[in-house]
Amino acid sequence: MKRLLAVPILAALTVSACGGTGSGGAQATGGAGTAPAAKAVRIGLVTDVGGLNDKSFNTLANLGRQDAEKDLKVETKVTESKQQADYVPNLTSYAQQGYDLVISVGFLMANSTWKVAKQFPNVKFAIVDGAPADDAGKTENLPNVANLFFAQQEAGYLVGVIAAEMAKAKVGKATNNTVCSMGGIPIPPVDTFIAGYQHALQTISPTTKILNGYSNDFVDQQKGKEVGLRHIDQGCDILFQVAGGSGLGYIQAAKEKGKYAIGVDADQADVAPGVVITSALKRVNKAVYDSIKSVKENTFKSGDTFFNAANEGIGLGKLDPVVPASAKAAADKALADIKSGAIKPKTDIAVK
Amino acid sequence: MQWATGPAVPVISVIVALLLGAVFVAATGNDPIAAYAALARGAFGTPYDITETLVSAIPLVLTGLSVAVAFRTGLFNIGAEGQLLVGALAAGAVGARFAELPGPLLMPLVILAGILAGAGYGAIAGVLKAARGVNEVITTIMLNYIVVFVMHWLLQSGPMTAPSALGTPASARIGDGAILPVILPNELVPLSRLHAGILLAALAVAVFWFLLWRTSLGYELRAVGLGARAAAQAGIDPARRMALVMAIAGAFAGLAGMIQVSGVFQRVFDGFSSGYGFDAIAVALLGKNSPLGIVAAALLFGAFAHGGAIMQSNAGISSHLVSIIQALVLFVIAAEAIVRGIAGRSRRGRKPVEAIA
Repeated sequence: MKRLLAVPILAALTVSACGGTGSGGAQATGGAGTAPAAKAVRIGLVTDVGGLNDKSFNTLANLGRQDAEKDLKVETKVTESKQQADYVPNLTSYAQQGYDLVISVGFLMANSTWKVAKQFPNVKFAIVDGAPADDAGKTENLPNVANLFFAQQEAGYLVGVIAAEMAKAKVGKATNNTVCSMGGIPIPPVDTFIAGYQHALQTISPTTKILNGYSNDFVDQQKGKEVGLRHIDQGCDILFQVAGGSGLGYIQAAKEKGKYAIGVDADQADVAPGVVITSALKRVNKAVYDSIKSVKENTFKSGDTFFNAANEGIGLGKLDPVVPASAKAAADKALADIKSGAIKPKTDIAVK
Repeated sequence: MQWATGPAVPVISVIVALLLGAVFVAATGNDPIAAYAALARGAFGTPYDITETLVSAIPLVLTGLSVAVAFRTGLFNIGAEGQLLVGALAAGAVGARFAELPGPLLMPLVILAGILAGAGYGAIAGVLKAARGVNEVITTIMLNYIVVFVMHWLLQSGPMTAPSALGTPASARIGDGAILPVILPNELVPLSRLHAGILLAALAVAVFWFLLWRTSLGYELRAVGLGARAAAQAGIDPARRMALVMAIAGAFAGLAGMIQVSGVFQRVFDGFSSGYGFDAIAVALLGKNSPLGIVAAALLFGAFAHGGAIMQSNAGISSHLVSIIQALVLFVIAAEAIVRGIAGRSRRGRKPVEAIA
């Protein structure tokens, strides 16, 4: 009898221990209530596995959707993908219902978007951070897909300037002249951020030691935290993460050990005030908003669109009071130089 | 005891879990009836949705069998996840390496690769259990981690890394001969992804039933599960049976991985499984470790998986609700066993033992 008892209880415990990655959360989808009667433009947004509460990429995309719904009087819905296998059915579901625009959030959906967009040539698609890619991984521009790209290296460069100035001048807790970064997985939209960051560090403060690592995950905070603790062990005192939900764990490590962190995508100052000194902004919300607007106003354009410093697609987040005025001035100058083309941040990682 | 093995208890468990889930929905200010209606419509509303629910259920059937066959032998296989991944890696490697081979040659090779790799991986925990008495719960959990990290290496910078920009570290595409065909014509259900893996899953269910209830080995496995010492008295070597059953469990899970590669993704990539091996524990428990029970439970969880996303888009309720319902199902089942355990103890264990044969 004991075994009979033990097994299911153990099962319940183990399942919650092993499988518990879901971060519960309700979100408002205003669509149904506010829909005007006739022929509203309908927009469906599909997140990647990071989920709506990643406080970065997906959260921003959803923000763009909500803003568009408010300003443009369009009807919008959102679906969270819980696993990569969900991308195709989630996109298909909106396309089948005849939505006007289906937005894929993320590079990870490049192949799924290609598959579904080819099946529904009359539905418009937009993919954030990527272009449709066929089964062999080859990019193929489709006449009904807008590819929304960002100059991540420019945002990475800006926060790199702040980190370099602080490391060089040994400001506050940044005393080890060692600066780190962590990506989710080594894919271009992640690595370009880090490449720009390292470019700024090497340009401004060549003596600074640079480390880089990957959490191999965009969801699990624990994995990000482990990398963070390891980096801190190796002397890091400024930690920049490009890893969605997993990156929040990296920030958590900095918080626990009394170090500085740099946010990504969204302004993550609120995640850990006093710890997050600034953020590399990637305004996914602007890209989503603009693409919805283009459908509403019949100006939809397929193929590549770039969001960069010049068109406010990327930028620098709020600065913590610990950041000295000289660092801010240097970042402002770098921003102007990037806009004018005087600085061209690198897109290849120097320290892997 | 008969009442407990029938469908009544699981069905009640699910109903109670859905009622409790409704409380959660109401607590977030939404309408539970609308939520469940959207969930059901999402899972079964159109022929396409039904086929997607089936596609989601297939790996759960096989990993459910994996957990159940170990349960029946008194072992707790938490390693179905790792065994599935090993099976997927093997199938993906063979399918890509011999991509030029014609289907009739390549397909059996890929199936065999998946099954054998899973079986071998499961056998590690089984042998450790048999030879040194190492708790299989611990070893299978740890083996899960090992395969996940080996997989990162294989796919990111190892021999299986494909030189392409698919968006995520991934292996090369398997050959056409290794792909399980879609079994419904496009004219019947447009865009359906329902693949021939469903036939393999059905076959596996039949094998599970035949093995456990129609062979002497199955009799011995179940005897060990009901009481290892009694079985030993009857001349069955429990240690060897335990080692063997973990290999069998691994084979079922490995086949699940192979089917996901050949039927759905055509390659292996990071984040390949979203915890089929863990959901399988719930599937096996809910299905009372019986063949039909597992199929029914896998279909239910498959419906949750596919319907949940649609529920979110159409009713505006977070698809995380289905995770809550799945957890509640487990809770209710565990609670039911507690109640039954207390009742059983008060009768001083004089309850008739479930018939073996």
